[in-house]
Amino acid sequence: MKITPKQYANALYQSISGQNDKQIKDVIDNFINVVIENNNVSKINKIIEQFEIIWNKEEGVVEAEIISARKLDDKIVKLLNSYITELSGAKDVIAQEQVDKNVLGGVIIKYGDKVLDGSLKIRIDNLKNELAK
Amino acid sequence: MSTTKDFIVEQLKQKISDFKSEAKEQTVGKVTEVGDGIAKISGLSDVMMSEMLEFTNSGNDKIQNSVYGVALNLEEDSVGAVVLGDFSGIKEGDEVRSLNRILEVPVGEGVIGRVVNPLGQEIDGKGSIESEKNYPIEKIAMGVITREPVTEPVQTGVKAIDAMIPIGRGQRELIIGDRQIGKTAIAIDTIINQKGQNMKCIYVAIGQKESKIAGIVKKLEDAGAMEYTTVVLAGASDPASLLYIAPYAGSAMAEYFLDKGEDVLIIYDDLTKHATAYREISLLLKRPPGREAYPGDVFYLHSRLLERACKLNKEYGGGSITALPIIETQAGDVAAYIPTNVISITDGQIYLEPDLFYQGNRPAVNAGLSVSRVGSAAQIKAMKKVAGKLRLEAAQYRELAAFAQFGSDLDAETKAKLERGKRLVEIFKQDQFNPLSVEKQVSIFFAATQGLLDNVPVEKIIEFESGMYTYLEDNGGGVLGEIAEKEELTDDITEKLTTKINDYKDTVDYLIKE
Repeated sequence: MKITPKQYANALYQSISGQNDKQIKDVIDNFINVVIENNNVSKINKIIEQFEIIWNKEEGVVEAEIISARKLDDKIVKLLNSYITELSGAKDVIAQEQVDKNVLGGVIIKYGDKVLDGSLKIRIDNLKNELAK
Repeated sequence: MSTTKDFIVEQLKQKISDFKSEAKEQTVGKVTEVGDGIAKISGLSDVMMSEMLEFTNSGNDKIQNSVYGVALNLEEDSVGAVVLGDFSGIKEGDEVRSLNRILEVPVGEGVIGRVVNPLGQEIDGKGSIESEKNYPIEKIAMGVITREPVTEPVQTGVKAIDAMIPIGRGQRELIIGDRQIGKTAIAIDTIINQKGQNMKCIYVAIGQKESKIAGIVKKLEDAGAMEYTTVVLAGASDPASLLYIAPYAGSAMAEYFLDKGEDVLIIYDDLTKHATAYREISLLLKRPPGREAYPGDVFYLHSRLLERACKLNKEYGGGSITALPIIETQAGDVAAYIPTNVISITDGQIYLEPDLFYQGNRPAVNAGLSVSRVGSAAQIKAMKKVAGKLRLEAAQYRELAAFAQFGSDLDAETKAKLERGKRLVEIFKQDQFNPLSVEKQVSIFFAATQGLLDNVPVEKIIEFESGMYTYLEDNGGGVLGEIAEKEELTDDITEKLTTKINDYKDTVDYLIKE
């Protein structure tokens, strides 16, 4: 039977959950052996990709993106992080910062498949549409 | 001067202070695959079935081109959507937003007299459509407690149909036949004849040539029929997604008038192309193909559409939607997949036959194979009386005519039947764009069934018919008006009509002498 990357990733996650570091190392060695035995080494990148998704989902980790016009100082980033935690209901947030001049001001927050657009640009666009009416 | 300037500034300030912008959480996905009018999208985890999606071009910030789409396939970690419109600008990685509403079209009085596309946008160059309301294009048909049997007639103005295959308000009558034998002509004649009949008409053109539609719109305008007609056009060059939603959009527009208690006639021209468009979409979305490569739910595709035709009872407004779907067959093959499906859904069919058409019997209605399951319930009393035996006589004639080709010795009774039949066939001939009012139809069928035409030569019947109408209008002493008003043939009217027709016969010089 063909084993999909998703099935591999799921199996890996389940066998390492609740184990200590030493055991995890053994499990991973064993896992790699199984993958090699099944001639599935070429799938390893996809397996890692799927594993990250499963890990994030199970452990309540959310990857987020913060886009702003200028570099934000740490205090604001911390505030935003806790805000995203509250919004998404996740335990932990891994936020990446990005600088984009087109945003003009404010921030755009992206997490999962949600977008929260609080930028100056979208507000000006909305105002433009409103006035054009 | 300065006052106007102040006024403008004041207005602007007002608008800006009124303007509130809130950052709203939106669900977005990314396009992973595009092609042939469909797109695969990742993300969009909580999108609804047939929800509207907005594709935005992320690359070009100056021009925000947004194209709409509809989610049709909800899979484990992707969404299959059809793009409504030009899909050439969509790239892999583009953002897709879900709009949190099911696909809707504008409805209302504003669409009457207009030509619109399946999204309800104008395409006739007469300015944008004014409407306050939007209706979802997909809707579950009215339930059984809201309905009542069909009783009121739709006067098509086509003699052969009104007499033998009557259509009622709220009925679904299929028009079926090969290409180029007058299917659309019957539908257009019916629309033209609805003038003053308290009926709104919607003509849905699916995959038709735009030149043909331009011609139809022109004809309707000339006949004054665009005053109560809407044309929904998905042309042959439009993407399959638009062809697919066109009949549902037309139906939504009809339902607005239904809700107001009005009568609507809707024509789907034609559902063969609709099924083909749906097959295209389904195959591209990788749904499994079935018979003739149509997906498993083609039956539901048409049954849910035609079930929206209905006659509501008084408590629910008493409105009706009459549907005239059109199906094109290949070489008269009514047993193909889509034709049999639609025949089984509708309340009867008008079968047009190429042989009759090329013999010059136009409209080429085959009386034997055409049926109306509503029957004479949808005829006025006067028509019931004269048309009762017509179908039988027409069918008998056809059998006898085939038989009589071989022998020359026939008894008097058979001869009489043949002569009567020949005249009936002549009467059923009718020019296009020339619908006939019901009282005139009653008068000519009355003349035929009473044997008043038996001594009019067959080749003079058409001439006699039009002469008789003119005579009855000018010198009939209002007998046509009486039929139209009373809707039945009382003894009084019968007598008057007989005398008047005989009077007219005295004025013509081509009668056969005994």
